[in-house]
Amino acid sequence: MTRAPLPEGIRFLDPEEAAARAEAVATLRDLYRQWGYLRVEVPALERLEPDHPRASKAFKLVDVGGSVLALRSDFTPALARLVRTAYPAVAAGEERPLRFSYDGLVWHAIDPELARGREFTQVGIELVGVSSARADAELIHLARESVRALGLTPRVEVGNPAYVTALFDAAGVPDGARGGLADAIDRKDQSAVIALVEGHGLRGPAADAIVEVPDLYGGPEVVDEALSRVPTAAARRALERLAGVLDEFEDQGDLMLDLGMARRLSYYTGVTFRAYTFDFGQPLLGGGRYDGSLLPRAAGFALGLGRVLAAVEAAREPFDGGAVDVSTAGRHADPLVASLDDAAARRLRAAGVRVVRSVADEPAAARAEAVTMGADFLLLPAHAGERPGERLVALREGHDHVVEQRLRSLLAAEGA
Amino acid sequence: MSEGGQAGGQRPWLVVALPKGRVLDQSLAMLKDVGLAVEVPKDPRALRYEGDGVRALVMRNADVPTYVDLGVADAGVVGYDVLLEAGSRLYAPVDLGFGRCRISLIRPRGATGPVRRVASKYPRMTTEYLRRLGSPAEVVELSGNVELACLSGLADAVVDVVETGATLKANDLEEVDVIALSSARFVVNRAALKLKSARLRPLIAALRESAQQG
Repeated sequence: MTRAPLPEGIRFLDPEEAAARAEAVATLRDLYRQWGYLRVEVPALERLEPDHPRASKAFKLVDVGGSVLALRSDFTPALARLVRTAYPAVAAGEERPLRFSYDGLVWHAIDPELARGREFTQVGIELVGVSSARADAELIHLARESVRALGLTPRVEVGNPAYVTALFDAAGVPDGARGGLADAIDRKDQSAVIALVEGHGLRGPAADAIVEVPDLYGGPEVVDEALSRVPTAAARRALERLAGVLDEFEDQGDLMLDLGMARRLSYYTGVTFRAYTFDFGQPLLGGGRYDGSLLPRAAGFALGLGRVLAAVEAAREPFDGGAVDVSTAGRHADPLVASLDDAAARRLRAAGVRVVRSVADEPAAARAEAVTMGADFLLLPAHAGERPGERLVALREGHDHVVEQRLRSLLAAEGA
Repeated sequence: MSEGGQAGGQRPWLVVALPKGRVLDQSLAMLKDVGLAVEVPKDPRALRYEGDGVRALVMRNADVPTYVDLGVADAGVVGYDVLLEAGSRLYAPVDLGFGRCRISLIRPRGATGPVRRVASKYPRMTTEYLRRLGSPAEVVELSGNVELACLSGLADAVVDVVETGATLKANDLEEVDVIALSSARFVVNRAALKLKSARLRPLIAALRESAQQG
């Protein structure tokens, strides 16, 4: 049997993909920096903790001493660990907003299915030490802005699983039945919800609200609808928090409420959200509040970079093969120069031009090499008596003369 | 995307994944009932049926969750048994009421010996069921005619679909326990429901009404 070069669900990135990824990460880092989030790095190798929310999904390794390690499977618990170590007062309950951003790989030891990798890049932020509708709104706003910054139109669904929990408490749903019922609500499986509610003999306004909750999605009116027959104070608080988050937005157009968001990662306790974009069937990012689980007050989100870039690619598709030649777009601003003249090349690089050093030993071979690598210009060593820059050769027909002039003036510049 | 892109032209507002077989006709009838008629092509090998603003992709039952989950189709029709087996997180807002069956544990009539090996085309459901009972029995995955496993001695029980029970009777088998009830569900991609809710909501309501009457 032939051996696959890489484990399943793991892949190489070609230069184009790697560049797209690096650019997207840079865009997001910049966005988060502008909002005052401080970038941190957390280790990829962790001690395996059985109570880690994704312990069963983690790739495990054995340390030299025999203890079990895990590859990072989720940034949020890793960031929480960082806060517990570096900011013990905040981890103990001090109210003080801390903003962190991160980006890097996570690994999931799952059955590799179609279109689901096992190693993927996540970019995200956490807002720790504060819990309020205003803090929730900041994260939802930045989730929306993240999607926009990458050139996509966002639609963010916002829910509060605490509402469903409050309904369960009010209706007296037994502990053993909660998982299955939350699951059915989350899948908007009306018939299963009805069957479970009837099967457990649940009756009364809270039971009715449980049956109706899967269909409560849409604009702010769904909160009013739910508030009109809210069974308990806890349910009211969960709804009012959602309303409060919405109130923070002047433009609610891209937001959508879903009171039936009932089942998320185990650590979420409050407002949660996911972002989608048009004609792309999978969520681009997800996040929420996890007060009281990993930290006393904290919320955040993580964006799946591969997903987002696939969505960007899909959005671009209709233009493929059209009149716009993508391969040369942007080339004028960022020409590629091949060079046999090391001193001249240094001057161009100092001015920010991309210059590849030719490994050929004579001009004809250098020209062939330059064409192969797709260079726009070839820079040959000046002969005695020639002005610097005179031996810059344009390799493309119809090349940009403004760019050529700029390169020539850089080469001829004083102090060269 | 490969399918829809070239030959399909512009993507209609709704792409729906439908399973081949008996359920297909019932699904098409129900879609027509709610104003989403598609033309059934003369060529029986055709895999895409077009209608006004809607396209139906015709595929194997078990592939429907994949198409809908990845968003290649916005919605689909699929048996609840398939969703359970796939561990699917898709929205399943409508029980369409047709394609009713039970997923049951089946043994030769009168068998009382220990269950050591169970054959099924539902390995996931079977494993979960056995685990719930605390049984250490081994699960063997088969692709069809699962009852044969019981008759030939490959397994001492099977987990399979029971519709009328006629196959069981003919082979002197008996239904020992019902594991799940199944019927066709209208499933919706999670993103599609949020992005196209203005049109999908009324569609879901209409399908529920239609299912209730039918």
